[in-house]
Amino acid sequence: MNVLPARTSSVRVGRRRLSRDERLGYLLILPSLGAVFVVVTIPFVLVVIQSISSEDGTLIGLRNFTRALENPLLYDAIRATAEYTVLVLPVEILLGLSFALLVHRTVLRPGLRAAIYVLAILPLVVPPVAIGVVARLIYAPGYGVLNVILERLGLMHQEVNWLGDPTLAMLAVASVDVWQWTPFVYLVLFSGLQTVPRESVEAAQIDGANWWAQFRYIDLAYLRPLFVLIIFFRLADVLRVFDHVFILTGGGPGTTTQLLSLYMYRVEFKFFDAGQAAALAVLVLVSFSLLYSLISRALPLERA
Amino acid sequence: MQSITRREFVKRTALAGALLTPIPAILEACSTGTPTTTKTTKLTIAAVQGAEDGPLKKVAPMYQSQSGITMEIVEFPYDQLFEKLVTTFQANGSSYDLCMMDDPWMPKFGTMGALQPLDSNFGFTRDSDIPSIVYDVGTWPPPHGPVPPSEQGKSQHLYGITIVGNVEMFMYRKDLATTAPSSWDDVLANAMKFNKPNFYGYVIRGKATNPASSDSLPILWSFGGDIFDTSWKVMLDSTESIDAITFLTQSLKKYAEPGAANIDAADRDRLIAIGQAFQSTTWPAEVTGVVEAQGVSQVIGKMAYIPIPKGPSGKGLGMMGNWLLGIPKGSKNGSAAADFIKWLIKSDNMKTYVQNGGIPTRTSLLNDPALGQANPYFPALAQSLAAQPNWRPRTDQWNAVETIYGTAVNQAVAGLKSPKDALTAAAAQVRTAMKQAGYPS
Repeated sequence: MNVLPARTSSVRVGRRRLSRDERLGYLLILPSLGAVFVVVTIPFVLVVIQSISSEDGTLIGLRNFTRALENPLLYDAIRATAEYTVLVLPVEILLGLSFALLVHRTVLRPGLRAAIYVLAILPLVVPPVAIGVVARLIYAPGYGVLNVILERLGLMHQEVNWLGDPTLAMLAVASVDVWQWTPFVYLVLFSGLQTVPRESVEAAQIDGANWWAQFRYIDLAYLRPLFVLIIFFRLADVLRVFDHVFILTGGGPGTTTQLLSLYMYRVEFKFFDAGQAAALAVLVLVSFSLLYSLISRALPLERA
Repeated sequence: MQSITRREFVKRTALAGALLTPIPAILEACSTGTPTTTKTTKLTIAAVQGAEDGPLKKVAPMYQSQSGITMEIVEFPYDQLFEKLVTTFQANGSSYDLCMMDDPWMPKFGTMGALQPLDSNFGFTRDSDIPSIVYDVGTWPPPHGPVPPSEQGKSQHLYGITIVGNVEMFMYRKDLATTAPSSWDDVLANAMKFNKPNFYGYVIRGKATNPASSDSLPILWSFGGDIFDTSWKVMLDSTESIDAITFLTQSLKKYAEPGAANIDAADRDRLIAIGQAFQSTTWPAEVTGVVEAQGVSQVIGKMAYIPIPKGPSGKGLGMMGNWLLGIPKGSKNGSAAADFIKWLIKSDNMKTYVQNGGIPTRTSLLNDPALGQANPYFPALAQSLAAQPNWRPRTDQWNAVETIYGTAVNQAVAGLKSPKDALTAAAAQVRTAMKQAGYPS
């Protein structure tokens, strides 16, 4: 029989020796850390090197950053991304929250809740390209379903140029995002509402709290960290939005809906300016890291 | 025998698993790749997905049965094909033995030195039955027009052979108009005459970037405008260029479909095919794929196809959009790939290719009455090729220039900017981009 040595804390002065379990733990995570290093760290370092190099590999300092920042199209893209974010984030959060509260308070049958859950999952699993194609069938000039419906209902008498008018084009691409991602907000907030203790709610009701007071003083406390999570995820997603915008408007009319992701794609794959594209990627990463830290300070998770 | 506890067994198994998991990946990374064989057994073609590679897919099995070489066609959408080829060439990859290339890509690939010369390496010579412009478009540096500064003085070689003889043409409803428009003034007069509710006098393909650029360049050239002059000086803000885009985005737009700023080729073909529009520019693939397609179009036999009408410059200049086959430098099967291209462009084989929907480059096939019966645009295509159509500027910066120019035209179509303001801003952007790339501007 093999007798295992007794586990010891093996603390030495100045430096603690790792126990067998700890060594095993580190060994087990080593392949994962290696994979992260290969697929995240190395590309990031390469992008940083690319951002300070010319096409032939010579180091050129911050020249790529200067060119990126001097390009007026960058500011068009930032403006378009900001408009898109301001449109989609509040709408998705308000709609998602409303649905979550509605279902939480009015739908009590488990079967019906499960059905709503499945329905909410559906938009999240549809490929964005397919959503873009369907949206184009809805908004397209000439044969778009939306124009046909509005016309048959007598709500308009001439075709609305959904994708050719700057304001409407931005609303059209934003509406697709709202359709696809409101269910995500709903699912996160609905799951948060399930963690609210029933006793707290019942006590508040006995004390005469109305629905708004219940929401403001009880539910919201439990949902606050989830709002941070949602804002984090959705901001990251907004930066990655590409497929449906590319299919619906191609960034047009002009550069009205050319979001940062589409602009960076064009700098890299149309202009083949790898240095400027890398500089843009680094700038975006740094800016959004700062933005994230500001958001997390404004809405600290610990408050819950 | 030494026994261990179950807990220890689980730990050791997990540890062994964790350590062994990356081994296949490490072995794969350390391998030297497939060894080169002397006899080619397979040719891999990177092709564009759609009407352009359809006929190629149909005739490739015939070559396979004759040669015994397996033909594999890997398809990509237009944009992705370009990106895939550029990244493959940058890595000198050997994934593809042949690649389909749109002709504006030739400067990029030529400048990169990404392709094997077909003349010096594989003995390709010009065939008198194929218009010289078709060979010129596959030659690098370009035999005529401005040459990029980095390419001046380099010896010319043939790097690509056209397998889709696309040239932009003009189409109109011959059942409504008795005479063909010979000038853009005639086009405007017809647009005005035939425009009525739910029937548009002209269709503008005005979606941002490539669509707006392709649609407007023949008009730009016919008005005497251009993107560059012969010494790479930017001409987008010249009076002729501004007049051309003003004509398209203001004069013709009055009679064009609503939402023209978001219209691409498929939308244009739909309007023509359902009988809701009178005229537009067109490409051969649009004619065979939609406008004259049985079961799809309501205007079969009602359309006429002609070369691009003349403008104030006295010229009507069509635009080349040839698709070529080239052999990447990284291919280890160059000879076999060259044999396939030679087989494909042989007269008999090209005829089979045309009968399967292909667009020929041989004058004899374009003028073949039987083939012309099934392809009513062939005479117009033959005339367009004989008239030496323009190609897009032969610069490796074309993608950037097209994006800037196509966005400016789109802005003018959408009414966001006046043609003059849009082109002036675009000219400044093009000058900056070209200067950064080492061109005089």
